[in-house]
This record gives sequence, C-alpha cells and structure tokens, in this order.
Amino acid sequence: MATKVGLAAALAESSKSRAFVIGGAISAFFLFVALLALVWTPHSVLQMAIREKLQGPSWSHLLGTDQFGRDLLSMLMVGASNSIGVAVVAVAVGLAFGVPLGALAAAKRGWVDEVVMRFNDFAFAFPALLSAVMITAVFGPGGVNSIIAIGIFNIPVFARVTRGGALSLWQREYVLAARVAGKGTTRITVEHILPNIASLLIVQGTIQFALGILAEAGLSYLGLGTQPPLPSWGKMLAEAQTMLFLAPQLAILPGLAIVLAVLGLNLLGDGLRDLLDPRLRRAR
Amino acid sequence: MALLEVDGLTVEIATPEGPVAILENLDLSLERGRSLGLVGESGCGKSMTALAVMGLLPKAARALGAIRLDGQNLLALSEEALCGLRGRRVAMIFQEPMTALNPVKPIGQQVAESLRQHLQLPRAEAEARAARLLDRVGLPRARFPLGLFPHQLSGGQRQRVLIAAAMACGPDLLIADEPTTALDVTIQAQVLDLIAELVEAEGLALLLITHDLGVVAEMADEVAVMYSGRIVEAAPAETLFREMAHPYARGLFAAMPQAPGSTEDGSARLTTIPGRVPHPAERPAGCAFAPRCPHRLTACAEDPPIEQLAGAHWVRCLAPQRGAPKS
Repeated sequence: MATKVGLAAALAESSKSRAFVIGGAISAFFLFVALLALVWTPHSVLQMAIREKLQGPSWSHLLGTDQFGRDLLSMLMVGASNSIGVAVVAVAVGLAFGVPLGALAAAKRGWVDEVVMRFNDFAFAFPALLSAVMITAVFGPGGVNSIIAIGIFNIPVFARVTRGGALSLWQREYVLAARVAGKGTTRITVEHILPNIASLLIVQGTIQFALGILAEAGLSYLGLGTQPPLPSWGKMLAEAQTMLFLAPQLAILPGLAIVLAVLGLNLLGDGLRDLLDPRLRRAR
Repeated sequence: MALLEVDGLTVEIATPEGPVAILENLDLSLERGRSLGLVGESGCGKSMTALAVMGLLPKAARALGAIRLDGQNLLALSEEALCGLRGRRVAMIFQEPMTALNPVKPIGQQVAESLRQHLQLPRAEAEARAARLLDRVGLPRARFPLGLFPHQLSGGQRQRVLIAAAMACGPDLLIADEPTTALDVTIQAQVLDLIAELVEAEGLALLLITHDLGVVAEMADEVAVMYSGRIVEAAPAETLFREMAHPYARGLFAAMPQAPGSTEDGSARLTTIPGRVPHPAERPAGCAFAPRCPHRLTACAEDPPIEQLAGAHWVRCLAPQRGAPKS
C-alpha cells in the first residue's frame, strides 16, 4: 500500500504524457504573457508614432511596428490577455449555468430533463459563431457583449457533458448507498456526482477555452469584439489584411499566436483527458 | 411490539401490459436484537423487499400494505421524513463493497458524512467518531488512516468501511443485502462475525438477505424463505433446519455444495432444482413453485393456504414434507 497520493504522484504521472507537457507549457507561456501584459508591456499600445511605422525587428521594437508605429510585441501581449480574459469569463459563464442545469436534468429526469435538453438542442441548432455575431449586432459590438455571446453558447455544452456524466453515476451503487444513508438529491449531487465528473468538466473546459479564444478572434476580426484602440489578435489580422504584401509579419504573427494558443490548449485538454480518465490510464 | 412489521406488503410495477406484482402479500416481523434471514434464489424479490423497507423503490413501482417501524407506517411518510430515517434509524449494507464506496472520497469522510448530516456534528467531532467507528470494525487508525481512498483497500476492508458507515448513527434496524457474497470464504466468516457481534452489542435488529443457507444457519434467529415474490415458509432457524417443510426450501438446502464424500452414497454431485424462477409476469396460477416441484399435486393449481405446522412454523404448501432435509 505504498501508492503515492496527492500532488507528487500526480506530477510524476503527468510527466509521462507528452501532450500534457507540451500543451501545458504552451498554455502556461500564454497565461504568463497575458498576466505580464496587465502590468507591463515594452511600449504603450495606445501610443502611436507614425514616423516609426512598419519597421522591422529592432532592439527597441523586438517584433517591429505596425502601420501606426505601435509596438507589435506589446500589441500581441495585450491581445493575449484580452483573448484569455474573454475565454476565461466565457467558460465560467458556461460552467456556472450549464453544470447546474445538466445536474438538475440528470437528477430529476422526467419532464425537467426533457425541457432542459430540448432547450439545449435548440441552442445547439444555431451555429454558435453566427449567433454570437447576431447577439453583438443586436446589443452592439464590444468586449462585454462578445463575452456574453460566447458564454451563452458554452452553457449547452457544459449542460450536456454534466448530464451525460451524471446520468451514468446515478446508477452507481454508491449513490444508492448515499440514498440509503438518508441523503437527498441535492446533497448527493454535490457530494457524489460533481466530484466524480470534475475531470470531464476540466477537459471540456480546456477545449471550450480554446474555442473561446477562436471565437473572440473571429468576432474581433469582424469588428464586433474588442473595440479600438485596444488591440486584439483578430483585429490585428483584419488590419494587416490590406498590407499583406507590404508587411506580411503583421498578419503572420497574430495568426501564429492564435494557432499556438489553440493548439496548446487542445493538447492540454487531450493530455488531461488521458491523465484523468482511469480507464485510459490503465490502457496506457 | 416488534420493531419492524411488514404487513401484507404488495409491490406492483407498472408495465405496458399492466401492473405486475413482484412482491405479493408479504408478512414479516422482526424484534430488536434478533436477526431475520430472508432466503431465496436471485429474482425472487429479496432485494426489492429491502428497497421497499428503505422507501427506495423504483419510480414505476407501487407499494400496498404497510411497513411499520416502531408502529409508524413508512409507506405513508413523505420523502423528506424518509431521508431523516434512512441512515439514522435504518441502515443498509450492500453486496458489492467494490462499488458501494465513492472512489473519489477518503474513507474517513464517507463514514463521517452521515454523522454530520443526521447528528449535525462539527467536522472535528465527526472525524473523531469516524475514527472510533473504523477502529470498532477492525480498521485501526494507525494502519488505516482516515485519508485512505477506497481503491487502497481490499474487498473485505471496504465492506468493513461500509459497516462502519452504516453503524455511524446507531441505527435500530440494519439491512444487509448479500453482505458477504462478493467476498472470499475466509473474509466472509470474519465479516459475518463482525456483523453478529455488532448486532449483539448494539441490540440491533438485523434483516439479512442472502441466498446462502450456510450464512443463514450461522446468523439468523428466524428464517423466511421466499419464492417468486412470496414467502413460502417461515420458522425459527433451528426448527427450519430440523424440519424444512416446503419442497422449495428443501431443494435449496439440497443444492448446497458439500465436501466430497460427505454424502451418504459418497458422491459429490451437486443437486439442482430443475427449471428457473418464473418471471413475475408469467407466474403460474396457484403455487408458483408447482411446475418445478417433485411433490406436485393437481390441487397445486389453486393458491395453497398458509398452514401452521408448529408454534411459529408456517408453510404455504399443500404437501409439506416431514423430517430433516437431505443434502
């Protein structure tokens, strides 16, 4: 019975999954950059210096400048914190509403389940990004509205994952044992169901996080997300479009940032799924 | 007054073809400090009886009759009132200790949970109590800290954790549904000893559900033999093993594995009861066991009356057998 428990064992186990290590490193890097951008950037992203426009890399501007002479590195950093901020809140919105809804549906079954799941299907039937465009078009473009738009479409995703996991858990004998011990539905859900589907939710959370970043970039590209003068990856792409032959790095760099961030998060999600799912763990 | 009185309990499940009775007119009675063995094949309604007593029948099921705990009819109670009873006055342990514990929670917490819920004990006190309970069931804290997870324990140890959790609030009635079926024979004996000792020390009433007559012989004061949703024979354990009357009970007894050479003719062949328990929807009229019965009479097509053979020995059979059963 010398099994290591807790953090040490978890770390030892996790280092075996290449996807987890690489994805984790990339995600951690972006997170660090995003946090750093909150307190420090090499230059101010609001400050224009037309005389220094479209410069190549130099010591004062490591990645060069854009058509207004703004520092590209600083813009990418602020874009990272912007994207991650939107994605975090959007995932939080999805978790906060989706998990209780899914758990309720699984616990009550019957008509409650029907109503929740049909509502879910209804939300799923719309292409999420298109509906987000519609929401921002109706309520006006801007950071907060894009968060709401992306968050709303996370709700059915988490509701479905929660319900699916919870349904199978309700058939377990320890849930019957808990009922025999006099626990009500709410208590069983909080004490037995949710801890057992936490891993599912974490994995889904990372994937939705990546999708959130993509969606934010998409909305900003269309001019419906973050508004000028604040930079965001999607908006940088849109602005660089017209100068693709003149200064291709203006499009390549933010595009690369989006690709890397999404790739890192997806790898992290895959790695986490392998690590947290005991069935896959045994198979490895 | 008996602690538990089951009076004419009938449980019907709604099916597309109409209601099907899976328990029919069940009568049981159990005093404090006594143990009642409920014996029968798989599918005869033993576990359904336990669930009915706990008030945890599936939604499609309807219970008629009465289940009285200290005179209070459980069937008439609200779900909320039942939640207050479960775990506190009536506790239950299960067949599969491997799956009856939550894999993501330490054992100390799982034992302490019902203490905190029913007795509103603060965390520290509940944990201290949980440690004492685990110690009581043979898992001393020094070797089995409260922070262990279920996967770090063997089947027998897990069953002990479940027993500790069931005993936490000092229940009056303990329902053990095949408590040792999933365990090794040696561990089985230890767990049964533990349960017997707890029943004696705490003055519990024990409803022991099993298909194993050996377990019943060891543990039960009274025995009820069930077949296809009905009790076919009930008697004090001693009487029953001395003179089983119902052909089904005798068949069960004969079907117990024997050590080779211990039978009269020296053969080690296992006796079986031909056929199988009928599905409740296809139960024949009259005695449900008749199609499989070696002593069948034409009159068995009618419902056999309940016959009193001796003081507390009842049988539902037209052709009760006499004398000690052969095995």
